[in-house]
Amino acid sequence: MSIHEVLERVSHIMHIAEGYLPPLHAVAWGVASAPFVVHGVRALDREVRSNPESTLLLGASGAFTFVLSALKIPSVTGSCSHPTGTGLGAILFRPPIMAVLGTITLLFQALLLAHGGLTTLGANVFSMAVVGPWAGYGLYRLLRRFDVPLMVSVFFGAFVADLSTYCVTSVQLALAFPDPGSGIPGALAKFGGIFAVTQLPLAVSEGLLTVLVMRLLSRSSHGELTRLGVLATGAKKEASAR
Amino acid sequence: MLPIDAAAHSSRWRRRHPCEKAVLGLGLTVTAVCLPPWPGAVLVAAATVAILLGPAGVAPRQLWRAFRIPLGFCVTGAVPLLFAVGGPDGMVAFAPGGPGDAARLLLRTSAASLGVLLFAFTTPVSDVLPRLVRAGVPPAVVDVALVMYRISFLLLDAVANIRQAQAARLGHASRAAAWRSLAGLGATAFVRAFDRAGRLQAGLAGRGYDGTLRVLVPRATVSRPFLAMVAALLSGIVALTLVLERCLP
Repeated sequence: MSIHEVLERVSHIMHIAEGYLPPLHAVAWGVASAPFVVHGVRALDREVRSNPESTLLLGASGAFTFVLSALKIPSVTGSCSHPTGTGLGAILFRPPIMAVLGTITLLFQALLLAHGGLTTLGANVFSMAVVGPWAGYGLYRLLRRFDVPLMVSVFFGAFVADLSTYCVTSVQLALAFPDPGSGIPGALAKFGGIFAVTQLPLAVSEGLLTVLVMRLLSRSSHGELTRLGVLATGAKKEASAR
Repeated sequence: MLPIDAAAHSSRWRRRHPCEKAVLGLGLTVTAVCLPPWPGAVLVAAATVAILLGPAGVAPRQLWRAFRIPLGFCVTGAVPLLFAVGGPDGMVAFAPGGPGDAARLLLRTSAASLGVLLFAFTTPVSDVLPRLVRAGVPPAVVDVALVMYRISFLLLDAVANIRQAQAARLGHASRAAAWRSLAGLGATAFVRAFDRAGRLQAGLAGRGYDGTLRVLVPRATVSRPFLAMVAALLSGIVALTLVLERCLP
């Protein structure tokens, strides 16, 4: 096994494993995630009440997120990794909905695939279902506001969503396991350094993959993307052209 | 269906109330996280493996195949604790007490993972989700999770078939082809998911869908003797840990 493969395996603690965090940290991250998930649950509840058939579309969206995180993307270092899917999910379904879909996905991954965990669910939700989607979506919207082309915005949205997820995971791990010599800053450098070697190329890979998927979707599923608000409707296009 | 969920559907404890299994499995997990790893996590792991292979009737091979995944995460997650950065010994050096910290973390994460596996191996997700409404989870969220659960397996099957077809057409022969195939796979999964949702919607509309997904939940009652035994087991582990902690090095 090459050093890069070892590092990539270490970097997969993006899903913080069951029992990895001390009890106090596990509870604290759960409390930090709760307002975002509750906000998402309210948004989802409102959507389903006003539009009952959206239950099925939201379920399909969640299943797509679950399957997306199981795909393997080729990494620059020669081995494979999994996309977080947070950028694409946030652009398609918005961050509040992604907070709920991401939480359910992480719960399924813990119970069905033994990835992540239940005591670390709060920490994983905070990095992958809250910070990643909000950071990626925020940048995507900002770029779109400045009329940056759709695919360029999608690339940077997915890139930042992936990278911010890993940055938050590094902070979570550094807070839980300070370096014996240099404390939390040293641990942050240690975990961040491990992630930087593998995650910068992987974030670029995920950005490129998201652009390719979005290009195909804009051809094959124009109607769905318009309904989700990713592509402008004919009336909006005319208004923006004027 | 994924292997753990398939095993849960044919588990010896399938008919037991999910609440009982949650108290046992998640109780062992929380105990492993809260107790000192030596000897607490070792006792939790031993008790959990004994229950999994004994009364729960999980096959050793099945358990190993499922456990090696979190074990891999645990081992790789413990590696960074072996090193210290920026200290007096140089930029990167072996951490004093690093192997001990890594071993304790490995024990804790392994024992905690086994507790969750005990719950997952005996309780299908489809038994848990409908009961979450009683626990206060909004019905809309439970319905979305149920649809997600059912469509996920179909999508995973579809993705596996598409990947096989792409490989048969030399779709992974070069790096550029692999990227094209992967993008196609992601986009096809999206199209299939929405197509499946549309067909489900049409089918349910024909059956008078009013926004609520009604599913049959197998009837089960919570066994008080079972819960009492779980409480005794967890208390016993805690007491034994506190006693052994004083005696052992």
